[in-house]
Amino acid sequence: MELSFTVNGTKVAVDVPVGTTLLQVLRDELGLTGAKEVCTEGECGACTVIVDGRPLDACIYAAHAAEGAAVTTVEGLADGDRLSSLQAAFVEAGSVQCGFCTPGFLVMATHILSTHEEVSEDRIRRDLVGNLCRCTGYAQIVDAVLAAGRRP
Amino acid sequence: MDFRRAETTDEILSLLSELGPDAAILAGGTDLMVQYLRGEVAPRVLLHIEGVSELRGVRLVDDVLEIGTATTHRDVGSDHQIRTHLPGLAEAARQVGGFQTQAVGTVGGNICNASPAADTVPPLLVADAEALLVSSRGSRVVPLGRFLLGRRRTGRRPDELLAAIRARPLPSGSGETYLKVGRRGGMEVAIVGLAARVGFSGETITDVRLAVCSMAPTPLRLPEAEQTLVGTRGEPEAVAAAAAAILEATEPIDDARATAAYRRRLVEPLVGEAMRICRRRARGEEVAWN
Ligand SMILES: Cc1cc2nc3c(=O)[nH]c(=O)nc-3n(C[C@H](O)[C@H](O)[C@H](O)COP(=O)(O)OP(=O)(O)OC[C@H]3O[C@@H](n4cnc5c(N)ncnc54)[C@H](O)[C@@H]3O)c2cc1C
Ligand code: FES
Ligand code: FES
Repeated sequence: MELSFTVNGTKVAVDVPVGTTLLQVLRDELGLTGAKEVCTEGECGACTVIVDGRPLDACIYAAHAAEGAAVTTVEGLADGDRLSSLQAAFVEAGSVQCGFCTPGFLVMATHILSTHEEVSEDRIRRDLVGNLCRCTGYAQIVDAVLAAGRRP
Repeated sequence: MDFRRAETTDEILSLLSELGPDAAILAGGTDLMVQYLRGEVAPRVLLHIEGVSELRGVRLVDDVLEIGTATTHRDVGSDHQIRTHLPGLAEAARQVGGFQTQAVGTVGGNICNASPAADTVPPLLVADAEALLVSSRGSRVVPLGRFLLGRRRTGRRPDELLAAIRARPLPSGSGETYLKVGRRGGMEVAIVGLAARVGFSGETITDVRLAVCSMAPTPLRLPEAEQTLVGTRGEPEAVAAAAAAILEATEPIDDARATAAYRRRLVEPLVGEAMRICRRRARGEEVAWN
């Protein structure tokens, strides 16, 4: 069944069976492999993308439910070669080890920063509860989000 | 599998009367899609209702709060009327899964999925919630406790939509809470969840409603336990009697999350904590959200 939506500002159209997930469409049809496939059960957040302003787990979201939507993936965060301030903060704070969780954290934290004037550590830790990292112990990730939140 | 997107309630109802049991209503999909991907369900048609704005939002009608079933947990948790009149429900909605789960998961999906651990159900049960079911044949109102029949079983007929939940606002002089025990602070299915709505006259408890989840095949109201607390001050003996009555009325099981014995042990301290929080909230004190 055909499906069209906007991803990172570009209109796309695909033809996939109903029941295909949004993550499968992004990775397998559109070559956007930034969002990761890990648990495929909504538990880890590695596949987080923003659909019409809502951060969700693309691995359990029906692709056809995104018909006509505006989707943002991790590929849409940088401006060409210029990293977003959050991405730069991740590099500076050493928030990336194996990197598998990083796209999900970046997308989720971008949403947190864009919906709050100021963010506390408590807020960041609460709102990142659906993103798991097996490597860093989280402290460096939280530091990066706090640092990016302080920048204009 | 086919995909149909509804824009209005009428469209949902005509598609449901045409398709009956072949259609699965798809709201946020956080239960349905997981079950589909695991091969546990194989509907012929996904009927997508996220775009139906009539089913979203909260209204106060004749002193009853009416919650559209496609309202997401995030919207429930931040809605001013719910935080004022159904604070236990707001507290529960903020503890469903993680941010991503709450951003798309809905109250209607939580109820209709009929999990023993559904977090929004205990606080709705203590608010005498009723389910508004509509079909192209008409509509009916069923007490929520009677709508939930067992694990993954409800009284919904194949052509019916759960359109709204109606709940009684917290009376003045009362306090309410939802307490959830999991292995970590978030992203946890409840090992035990307890909702309490308690009215006081001075120090004395005059009215109590209690409901639990993850203690039986469906979340339950606990009338016998409630009776043991009325007229007391919530002293330890009264709390112990209430906990004993809860254990009498429930049948906790061993599962991957916890043993039945651990679940039983949690009940008494949870009741005690709920009485303390409700008392402070009834006095108007701020007690931090979970
Ligand atoms: C990672 C993760 C963590 C979770 N954590 C929790 C948790 O902590 N607590 C908890 O309670 N749940 C939890 N859940 C389960 C789930 O998120 C909730 O039950 C959620 O509220 C389901 O809503 P939904 O809109 O996604 O439902 P869907 O998956 O769209 O639908 C669920 C069921 O309800 C039916 N349905 C939906 N809306 C209606 C309607 N209006 N009328 C009739 N039938 C309808 C559907 O056909 C389907 O059978 C979790 C899920 C995931 C993936
Ligand atoms: S891959 Fe989607 S939440 Fe884990
Ligand atoms: S950096 Fe390896 S999982 Fe997070």
